[in-house]
Order: sequence, then C-alpha cells, then structure tokens
Amino acid sequence: MNTVTGACKDGILEIALAGHIDSTNSADVESKINDLLDGRENTPILLKARDLEYISSAGLRVLLHLKKRNPDLKIVDVSTDIYEILDMTGFTQMMDVKKALREVSVEGCKMIGRGANGTLYRIDQDNVVKVYNNANALEDIQHEREVARLALILGIPTAISYDVVRVGDSYGSVFELLNARSFSSILASEPEKMDWCVKEFVKVLKKIHGTEVPDGKLPDMRETVLSWADLVKGFLPEKQGEKLLSLIREIPYNNHMIHGDFHTQNVMVQGDDILLIDMETLAVGHPVFELGFMFNAFTGFSELDHRVILDFQGFDFETSQIFFHKVMKEYLETGDEEWIRSVVDKARIIGYTRLMRREIHRHGLETEEGKAKVEFWKKALGELLEKTETLMFDRNELDIEADVVNLPHVLEFVEKRLTAADCPLKARMQITVAVEEIFVNIAHYAYAPNKGRARVRVEISDEPIVVTVTFIDKGVPYDPLKKQDPDVTLPAAQRAIGGLGIFLVKKSMDDVTYEYRDGQNILSLKKNLK
Amino acid sequence: MLNITKEQNDGTMKVALEGRLDTTTSPELEKMLKENLDDVTELILDFEKLEYISSAGLRVLLSAQKIMNKQGEMRLINVCDEVKEIFEVTGFLDFLNVE
Repeated sequence: MNTVTGACKDGILEIALAGHIDSTNSADVESKINDLLDGRENTPILLKARDLEYISSAGLRVLLHLKKRNPDLKIVDVSTDIYEILDMTGFTQMMDVKKALREVSVEGCKMIGRGANGTLYRIDQDNVVKVYNNANALEDIQHEREVARLALILGIPTAISYDVVRVGDSYGSVFELLNARSFSSILASEPEKMDWCVKEFVKVLKKIHGTEVPDGKLPDMRETVLSWADLVKGFLPEKQGEKLLSLIREIPYNNHMIHGDFHTQNVMVQGDDILLIDMETLAVGHPVFELGFMFNAFTGFSELDHRVILDFQGFDFETSQIFFHKVMKEYLETGDEEWIRSVVDKARIIGYTRLMRREIHRHGLETEEGKAKVEFWKKALGELLEKTETLMFDRNELDIEADVVNLPHVLEFVEKRLTAADCPLKARMQITVAVEEIFVNIAHYAYAPNKGRARVRVEISDEPIVVTVTFIDKGVPYDPLKKQDPDVTLPAAQRAIGGLGIFLVKKSMDDVTYEYRDGQNILSLKKNLK
Repeated sequence: MLNITKEQNDGTMKVALEGRLDTTTSPELEKMLKENLDDVTELILDFEKLEYISSAGLRVLLSAQKIMNKQGEMRLINVCDEVKEIFEVTGFLDFLNVE
C-alpha cells in the first residue's frame, strides 16, 4: 500500500495517508508530500486519514511542517485511535480534525418509523438509526440535535441521538430506543388500543403546546406559513389571496412550542414512556399551525388517493379519519361537533396552503396530475376562506349554538377547567349554577325566534385565584342585571315561578358585569376562590 | 344525569334524587310529580345523592311545595350544605321544610 497518494480535486489538494507513519518512513512521507505540493503553495489541503493506522512523533512533525507551509489544512476520517493521539498532543486544537464516522448498514433491518426528513430503522435490540433523506444532512443533524436538547431541557419527552454515522451514501443519527414502537404500528396492528393512543397522543401534544420557549431559540412558524401563503396567493382569486394573508397576519406572535410534524410515526412508546423522535421541525407559534399539519398527515396528503395513508402510516384512511376526529375532540375537550368542525376548518386552511405551495414549488403545475391537485386545493381554500373570519381558536373558549340542548356541553366545558384548577366543591357548584342560568337565558331569549351562537370563555388567574366566565352573544341587547330582584321573603303561595336565576347569579358571584359593545352582549361573572 | 327512585306507601311518597337537577333534567322530575302527586299527603324528597340544583330545579320544588301546601306536607331530607346555601340565598329555606 502506498503511504501517500494525492490528487487535486475542485481546487483542493486531497492527500490520502495510509498504514504507519513513524521514524522509519517519515522523511520519505514528507518528501512525497512536498512533491505533490510543488507549485501549489496556496492550495487548501485535505488529508484523508481513513486508512492511517498509526502515527508516531516523527509523523506528527511532518503534519506540523505541512501546517506551517500551508495553513489551510484539514484532516478527515480519522480513526478513534489516531484521534486520541492528535488530541493528547494538542494537534486537534491547531488544525481542523474530523473523526471518521462509524458505518452502519440498514440492510435487512426493520423500518419502525418515518418522518418528513428521514426513516427510522432498528439496528439491534437497543438501538435505532434515523437515516436522513438528504445526502448532505450533517447540518440538519446538527440542528436536530440542538433542538432535541432544547426540547428535553424544557420538559418534552424526546429521544436524543448519541452518535452520527454513515449509512451508505447518507448520514444517520443513532438513538438508544429499547423495544420502542410507533403509534402508527400500534394503531395498525391493535385497533382496540385506539382510545388509549388518542389519550396519550393528545397528552404529549398539550404538553408541547403548553411549553414556553425563550425568544429566538426556535423559528417562528407564522413567518414560514406567511411565505407559503405569499406564493399561494398568486394562484387564488385576488380577494381570497388577500384574505388568506390577512388571516395569517392577524394571528399574534406566540412563544409556545409546536412540533411541526406531529403524527403517529413520530410518537413512540417505550415501556411506560412516550417519546418523540422527530424534532427538526420544532418551532414556536399558535397551535392552529400544528393542527393544520396534523390535518395533512391524517387527511390532506391522502385525500385524493386514500392508498397514500396506508403506505405511509400503515393504517387505512378510515382509521385515520376516526383517529384524527377523536384526537381533535380530546384536544379541544369538547363533545360539541360543530365547534370541532369549525376548528378543523381553520386547520384545513393552513393544511391546504402548505399542500398547494408544496405542489407548485415542486413544479406540479407542469403535470396534469399536479394541476388537478392544485385545482382541488384551490377550490377547497376558496370555500373555506368564504366562511372563516379568524384562524384563532382558544381552548379556554367554547363557541357553541345557543340552544338549551347544548347545556351539558357548556357545563362540561366549564367544569373541566374548574376541576383542573382544584376549585372547591362549593364554589364549583355556585359557578356552574350561574353558568347554567346565563346560558339558558341566552338560549331562550337572545335570538328568539331564530338561532344564533354564544361564546363562553373561562379564565382562571393565579394569586389571587379568580375564576372569570364571560358570555358573548350577538343577540338583542339585553342587560339581565337590570331585572328587578324577586322578593325572597314571600311564602311559597305568593311566589312567582321564575325570576330566581339572575338573582342566584348575583348572590353567589363576587362580581357580575354587563356591557353591550360592537353589537355584542358581554356578560362577565367573577368568583374569588381565595 | 338524574336518577329518580320512587317509593309509594298509601299517602306517603318518597322520592330519592341522584345526580343533577338542572335545566335539562328538571322536566323529568316535574313530569313524574305531576303524574303521581294526586293522592299524596306526605311527600319526602331525599337529596342525599343530589349533587347540584339550579334555578330550574328550584322552580320544580316551588310548584311541588304549592301543590303540597293544599293537600298535605312536603319534606326534604339529607340536604348537603352546598344545596342548603342555595336555598338560603333564594329565601327557599323560609318555606321549605328542610331536615
């Protein structure tokens, strides 16, 4: 084997070193290198050390001379042993030294997950490797490791890669993941576990959306979506394009985390733990962006060809629809189908914008198939934009048809939040009684004889703990506080049936306010808990 | 969400309520009382398992009290503090027979 071979490639002198370099051959090695350098004094040098087995101090002196003659020097593919020698002698601080990446083969390995940028394989009992689609993925890998670490520090359960390897012509990240399974695989093979999956899936999602991220640590998803909408706008009728942009612009900056690619291939179960494996799309923003991407994962990508989902997730389109609907229901904590639909419609606007931009960006308009897809999304966007006034929704606000049949939904919505805040039983009862009185009033009188909607908002402040429930409707102006209080000293026979509701509310709450503003009745109840 | 258990013995009717007496469930109690109160001289309402009462529930109690004033008596037993407080602020404690 030749100890030194070299060639100039793209303006870089690449020199491969092999075997041993010690006092017996160091002079010979140096003169061979000098021959290669002759007339190329200012050319950057790349020393490829994959086959270098040993280097003694005499050999190190050769490197030192070379570095002096030609400061632009890099050594790559260094074995662990050689790296140790270079590190001990301080050479790693003098020159750019890169360790050789371990090589891993995924041939015959089981695929256990798949994300936007890579595929996950189990390489042995304890380890999995994520192989990146992009051949030049070192930067992506670095980014993903950084955001995964950030997520872990902020309390998000995530797998951290401990090694970067070569997998054929691509790169991979290695994770320790014992017997982990993706939610997709569970849904595909054990459909009876659907409800458990929904619960755990939403638990992690809420954890992510409840996590505040220090400014500047993660990209702002709104900026990204705005840039997509800017491109899509050109393909929509002018008015719709403008509306799309202004709906996105109106979403305020939000410093809470969103995952960006939250679907069942990216959520793993390991023993009793739930772990996320795909973190490179982490960002901050309003949850509607996340729901938009989730809509795509479970519906959007496969809406025109249902086979796509089976290929990607391992379960069929119908299962996917049921799962997504249950997830939305659990996430929004409601049984109100109308409200779920309205939030999904907001998500679809984000989802279709992304799909349309992606297709156009990938030259889809040059094929008949691509044109048909873009036409479909364009039509769907047009219909959705027509009926959407805001892309925002709030899990602490219920938007519901003001009808007495919806009372159980309203009470459930309020009670869930009171229970979560450890509200004492007595106050809980007083608040729910008050909520019932007000909602039933709105349902009976605000829009009669027609129908309309009411919004119920629950806010709970810390220190002091104050529960505020606000009712907003667009019905006839009506201030219930003006109603005269009933005479509560009268005996039963002289009592009128009714008129007690508002009185009860005023007596049991600490503060009740009413205003009529912008065509809306706004009634607020406040109850101090401490 | 409201379970009504009825026990009738000559002129005495005991009605045990379990769950919530609110806008959606009150009509059930109202209907049951309307159909069965005719020959009752003593009405006992057992609130032991009642978690919640709204003004719709109060209205049913008021009509029942009015009927029973004419034909006998009405008593409420095992009323929890939270419900009792609602009776208190609405003045219902003054005319209801709460034990």
